[in-house]
Amino acid sequence: MFRVRITRRQEPRGWSSWFVLGAAVALSLVLSGVLLSLRDISPLTGLAVLFKGAYGSRFAIEDCLIKAIPIFLCSLGVAVAFRLQIWNIGAEGQFALGAVGATWVALTFPELPGPILLPAMILMAALAGGLWGMVPALLRQRLQTNEIIVTLMMNYIAILFLDYLVYGVWKDPTSYGFPMTSEFPPQAVVGKIGSTSVNWGLGHCLVLGTVVWVFIRFTRIGFELRAAGDSVRAARYAGIPYDRLVVLVMVISGALAGWAGFLEASATINRLQPSIMVGYGYTAIVVAWLARLNPLTIAIASFLLAGLRVGVENLQLDLQVPAAFGGILEGLILLTVLAGGLFTSYRLSVRRS
Amino acid sequence: MSGKTPLIRLQAVSKSFGPVHANRDISLDIEEGRILALLGENGAGKSTLMSILAGQLQPDAGTIFHDGAPIELTSTDKAITAGIGMVYQHFKLVEAMTVAENIQLGHGGGMWLNWAEINDEVRELAAFYGMKVDPGARIADLSMGEKQQVEILKLLHRRSRVLIFDEPTAVLTPSEADNLFATMKLMVGQGKAIVFISHKLEEVMAIADNIVILRRGEVVDRVAAAAVASTVELAERMVGREVLLEVDRQAVEPRQIVLKVEKVAGDGLQAIDMEVRQGEILGIVGVAGNGQKPLVEMVCGLHRPPAGSIRLLGMEWRKFFADQKWDLALSYIPEDRQGLATCRNLDLVDNFLLTTRGGFVRGPWLQRRQAEEKAKRLIDEFDIRPPNPQALAWQLSGGNLQKMVLAREFYRKPRLIVAEQPTQGLDIAATEDVWRLLLEAREQAGILLVTGDLAEALALSDRIAVMFEGRIVATFAIDDREHVARIPQMMAGLEITA
Repeated sequence: MFRVRITRRQEPRGWSSWFVLGAAVALSLVLSGVLLSLRDISPLTGLAVLFKGAYGSRFAIEDCLIKAIPIFLCSLGVAVAFRLQIWNIGAEGQFALGAVGATWVALTFPELPGPILLPAMILMAALAGGLWGMVPALLRQRLQTNEIIVTLMMNYIAILFLDYLVYGVWKDPTSYGFPMTSEFPPQAVVGKIGSTSVNWGLGHCLVLGTVVWVFIRFTRIGFELRAAGDSVRAARYAGIPYDRLVVLVMVISGALAGWAGFLEASATINRLQPSIMVGYGYTAIVVAWLARLNPLTIAIASFLLAGLRVGVENLQLDLQVPAAFGGILEGLILLTVLAGGLFTSYRLSVRRS
Repeated sequence: MSGKTPLIRLQAVSKSFGPVHANRDISLDIEEGRILALLGENGAGKSTLMSILAGQLQPDAGTIFHDGAPIELTSTDKAITAGIGMVYQHFKLVEAMTVAENIQLGHGGGMWLNWAEINDEVRELAAFYGMKVDPGARIADLSMGEKQQVEILKLLHRRSRVLIFDEPTAVLTPSEADNLFATMKLMVGQGKAIVFISHKLEEVMAIADNIVILRRGEVVDRVAAAAVASTVELAERMVGREVLLEVDRQAVEPRQIVLKVEKVAGDGLQAIDMEVRQGEILGIVGVAGNGQKPLVEMVCGLHRPPAGSIRLLGMEWRKFFADQKWDLALSYIPEDRQGLATCRNLDLVDNFLLTTRGGFVRGPWLQRRQAEEKAKRLIDEFDIRPPNPQALAWQLSGGNLQKMVLAREFYRKPRLIVAEQPTQGLDIAATEDVWRLLLEAREQAGILLVTGDLAEALALSDRIAVMFEGRIVATFAIDDREHVARIPQMMAGLEITA
């Protein structure tokens, strides 16, 4: 008989934690290979098609970047809340509200010049997303509700509200009955970078990522967030206004997701329609965990998981693998990486008994 | 000690954590059909001793005998097999499961369980020991007293012969406590051995056969309960008379009032009045659990006082805590260093910044580099080990963490210090350092010292206040010999009429 003893590590693992991460991702690829072979597709061929679809051409990489933009912004916001151990899984709804807010400005003031219209759309998107995020924070304080459940439920409300608008009051009369608003005026659209198909949202990501990083790392409030995220009791002891921080992180979180909603509506589809909701807000949670809440690694993980979405489209076209395969692979990666955490924070020793 | 072989005998058991002797040379017998009370303040080494018996900790030296034969309790399984069972203060029950399911948990057995039979067994066992527990009831629906009965049934069902109770009455109502004592009597009648850990003197007097008193990790007294005349005598034996360490203490002229507590009541407190002046140490002594904790939490702003008024540095409680300055104000050195005073996963610089961050702010920015320089200097000055500002709080030993907290809190130049068990778990050298620091701090601060260690209170305090059952029964100067001599009586709740 062998017995495994699990003890907490005294010294955190150094570089070898990257090895654990790599092994976890490799394991998830092996498991998805098994899934592919169940459909009589050679796993190696399947994964090759996946990777080629994701990163094999300039067009593919540009597509990855386009998809990485909203994932990155949502994940950045989610990570701020996670730092405080506030489990905001409502990025999806906050994203929807942001898109709605931006669309309202674009449709109501179509005559405004770009330099005024775009900032106004951003402001409105961040405000709508931020307020949507603030509601669960207030409910948590006043009524002791669980923010996980409330943020999740509010996603459905937000998405249905978006549907209500595009099926009803905002429906474009010239859309032949399709649920969509009329196209935004050209000055309400965030342009593309040079000759690429990637929009300037990438620049927004760069700026916002830096701002959040600086905020967490170098400001007093950022420090208070880290301290309160580690121990609520110690935070109260040290006079850190915990309740106010909860509201703050939820507003920041919601505002960033709302900003993503603005970019998606303005730059990618130039209008509001139900197909704007493709689950970026949920992918963002996976990304934030994989990246351990660090803005730089969030950027990398966003790009990789965006690649998964792009690659799966290719897999679907070439090998008729259902689109759900992308979701499965995403979930597998999250599970294996979380399970790999056992090896980074604990020491396993095997003894004969 | 009787001629019979004791069920469990500890012989010269010692256990150290770094330089701290949690248990030193402890010898005691746990006998069949007897209730042994372990008495001692928090940090006296009771819980370490229990963990050794439960197989969670291995002693550094000494032997444990089981039925006269040496045994090594290297795992909790072994302790259970040896018939040793614990009733913890915080119950280890699965709330969503039934009584019988909880009792069956961890029992093994085959693939199929005969629930009817298990239910019958549990019902019989409960009836035999005078407990009214329905085997089919869900734990979540039970009262604290009933949950405790389930814990006891768990042990009885697996035929434990030694039952160790860790402050079992702390969570019970008085009538539930009476029921527990009746059950205990029944169990010893059946030949079980019971270890009863408590610091409630009356209970120990009422139920124990033998009493062992621990202080600073050592057995300082052992006595048959029948030989103790009163709770007063027990209190005297518990706090001891000798002052272990002498410190050079010069009186400082007391100046303005920094803390004034008037008629504070609620949360177990009754009409507390006291004041602390700059330049003095007011020592609050009393057996733990007599209201010290709520009082400290109110003074330190963690809980609003339900009634009465607290003024700090001349300011009303609410105003003081609404815009508390980081320096020249209040420093709270809590008993719970790991959970309250520090963040375990942050490094020493961040933990240093926890309460001093106000001093390292420019606009919205935190000047972490300056803070790191200061932290490094303090780590040197206070000899904190490891001397690495990037070390995480949980990697430090209790003593070093306490030094880190003290270094940080003194850096704030507080004008009011609330120190709660400041030397608990520290070795002698560190204790002397802490005492010296507190005495020096009187120059600029008034100090409220809450301690369970009477020697510490006597060595440091200028005045002493004795707490019992949520009241301050007396306040007097340290040179008032007559009162000082009667501290044990007052701690045991005897009215003084002198």
